Amino acid sequence: MKKIISYLTLFLAFISFNANSVTLRAVMENVPDTKFIQELLPEFTEKTGIEVEFEVMGYGEMHPKLVPSLTASTGSYDFMPVDFYWVGEFDKAGWMMPLDKMISKDGFDTSVYFDSLMNLTGKVGNTTYMLPFYNYAMGLTVRNDLIEDASNQSNFKSKYGMDLKIPTEWDEYLNQVEFFTDKANGFYGVVNQGGKADPIAMEWSNYLFARGGSFHDQNWNGQLKSDEALQALNDYISMINNYGPIGAESFSFDEAFNVAAQGNAYSYLTYNWFLGSYNDPEQSSVVGKMALIPVPGEGGLNGAWGWSIPTSSPNPEAAWEFLKWVESPDIAKRRAEMGGAATRKDVFDDPDLNKKFDHYPGLKNLLATSKNFPVFTYTPQFVEVMGTELSKAVIGEQDPNVALSNMNEQLEELAAKDGKR
Amino acid sequence: MNNIQFNDRRFGFFFVAPAVIVLSIVILTPIVIAIVTSFYDYTLIDRSLNKFIGLKNYFNSISSAKFLHSSIVTISFVFLVVLFEFLIGFLIAILLNQVEKFRNIYYFILLIPLLINPVVVGLIWRMFLHPQLGILNYVISLIGVDPVNWLGDPQNAFITIIFVDIWHQVSFMIILLLAGLASIPEEPYEAARVDGANGFQQFRDITLTYMRPVIIITLLIRLIFALKTYDLIYIMTKGGPGDATDLISYYIYRSAFIGLDLGQAASMSVILLIIVCIIIYPLFNYMNRADE
Repeated sequence: MKKIISYLTLFLAFISFNANSVTLRAVMENVPDTKFIQELLPEFTEKTGIEVEFEVMGYGEMHPKLVPSLTASTGSYDFMPVDFYWVGEFDKAGWMMPLDKMISKDGFDTSVYFDSLMNLTGKVGNTTYMLPFYNYAMGLTVRNDLIEDASNQSNFKSKYGMDLKIPTEWDEYLNQVEFFTDKANGFYGVVNQGGKADPIAMEWSNYLFARGGSFHDQNWNGQLKSDEALQALNDYISMINNYGPIGAESFSFDEAFNVAAQGNAYSYLTYNWFLGSYNDPEQSSVVGKMALIPVPGEGGLNGAWGWSIPTSSPNPEAAWEFLKWVESPDIAKRRAEMGGAATRKDVFDDPDLNKKFDHYPGLKNLLATSKNFPVFTYTPQFVEVMGTELSKAVIGEQDPNVALSNMNEQLEELAAKDGKR
Repeated sequence: MNNIQFNDRRFGFFFVAPAVIVLSIVILTPIVIAIVTSFYDYTLIDRSLNKFIGLKNYFNSISSAKFLHSSIVTISFVFLVVLFEFLIGFLIAILLNQVEKFRNIYYFILLIPLLINPVVVGLIWRMFLHPQLGILNYVISLIGVDPVNWLGDPQNAFITIIFVDIWHQVSFMIILLLAGLASIPEEPYEAARVDGANGFQQFRDITLTYMRPVIIITLLIRLIFALKTYDLIYIMTKGGPGDATDLISYYIYRSAFIGLDLGQAASMSVILLIIVCIIIYPLFNYMNRADE
């Protein structure tokens, strides 16, 4: 009898433990940062007793997977990563839970994040809906070994009357692209990601900012019919047609990266985390030769994901516990050590990490100076419009002035539809 | 109808009822929802904003230059892929039908592309077609041909997409047509040979006559699948460069999930459904007549 009672007690204890245990679920993109967090998850479970399950998938599958859950009164996901593309839509739909009360209750310090990232995937207006998760700001990668080569330096100086160095001005960079282009020998001054729609739209935005242009003013009046925008588009067309490999009009980022990583291009304007891939001997033949620098001229394009708790989250308190843990200084540092793309300034100031990653000072500067893409409900649709118009201009099917005018008109129309104008 | 017949019918109805109910739920319900949605200014963002706008979405779709362009690109694509897949497929099926040895090995090899997911097909071909690092340009460079811009040039991109679709789908034609050819009895050919008919006459009067229902059903199925082509475009070109490969299914997807305009996307889907019905109706009729 005693045995039976003790088994029963054990069984009831087991039942009650399982009834109280929480399992958090989230959709995650199949990127290195997800993998790094997965490796650290057992520590979170050990510390809090909360289990976490990730549904890992490609970017294209995430939005269609998230939306049905977000529109339900009780959704399937407890927390979610939000790409900056979706922030306007999710905010408008009221799908993200404001975090301000939880932040102030637990004294979570959000001042550690870069302002540019907090404005992109942290706050909307005065409300904090997200904690910046990882960044994918764009920077320029150039062949440092070619820049340091003495014969290149003397030839460049005699041709352009200026020193060959890491470029800080846009025109200086354009000269370098021309100088290094040697199509006869299969070497290109630049490789572009000219494929529709996201790759070309994102890359060209850097050209726009570098030339000092912008998308809109404070009242969302389009600024894409400016001289700077036209100059930026003409630069882009010239880069692809005169200094890049054939096929760049259709390249996605991985195809463009492969050209640069195989040592066939002097420069590639891309996501900063590609530096790790350049230095991976399995993926690259230019290990240690590429430098990552901020886009010369007036700055480059920012990009980031943020952690958010859906309003339909079944376990918002436990989800907040996870967010606090994953964005704590210790976990943020350890994720960065693994190669993650950090968003906290203190990570970039960490002496151990600066010792390990010599590109950190440059990356910190890049993140601090990056500019944001228009974030509103119709951001993805505007990217589509940009992608088509820019692509048509590049292949000669659209006059650059007309392409920019169409983009400007569509931006204003979508902004008006969103109540911004 | 006597009692026995009535009972038989009722008994039969009970047998098919579960299938009819499930099909109604799975197929009819989404179609009805799509039709209803097409009359609304529908968005997932805030359902309180959704309002009935009658036929406005349809007028917008029909008058949209982009929709018209996508329709033209789609019609050209469907016509060319179905035509070439049929011609190549029929030729290979006829040749295979005469093969005696290792037939199963040929079947297996020909089936491989069909077994691969379209997304994987797209990814593989994107690698093959990379202008600098792809195997295709490397191979043609060995015979002194300059590298080809397969996906970056509008004309090339359209032809390339057709080529990849043919590579992927031609096996489907081969398998169905081969099954049809294998079922043709030998006697009519023997009789024709005795009567002095040449090879072309035998093909025209016996093979084509027997094959007509199979050919029609094969074309019908392939036509419907080709009209729905989406994944290949999504992976390989995203409709570009420019809008050279912007097929209608991909355009509808973008309107719904990127443009967030579900009402407009639903109206375009309904238009596509009507077009498909118009195309397949005469073929169905013809098939039924052939059966009779």
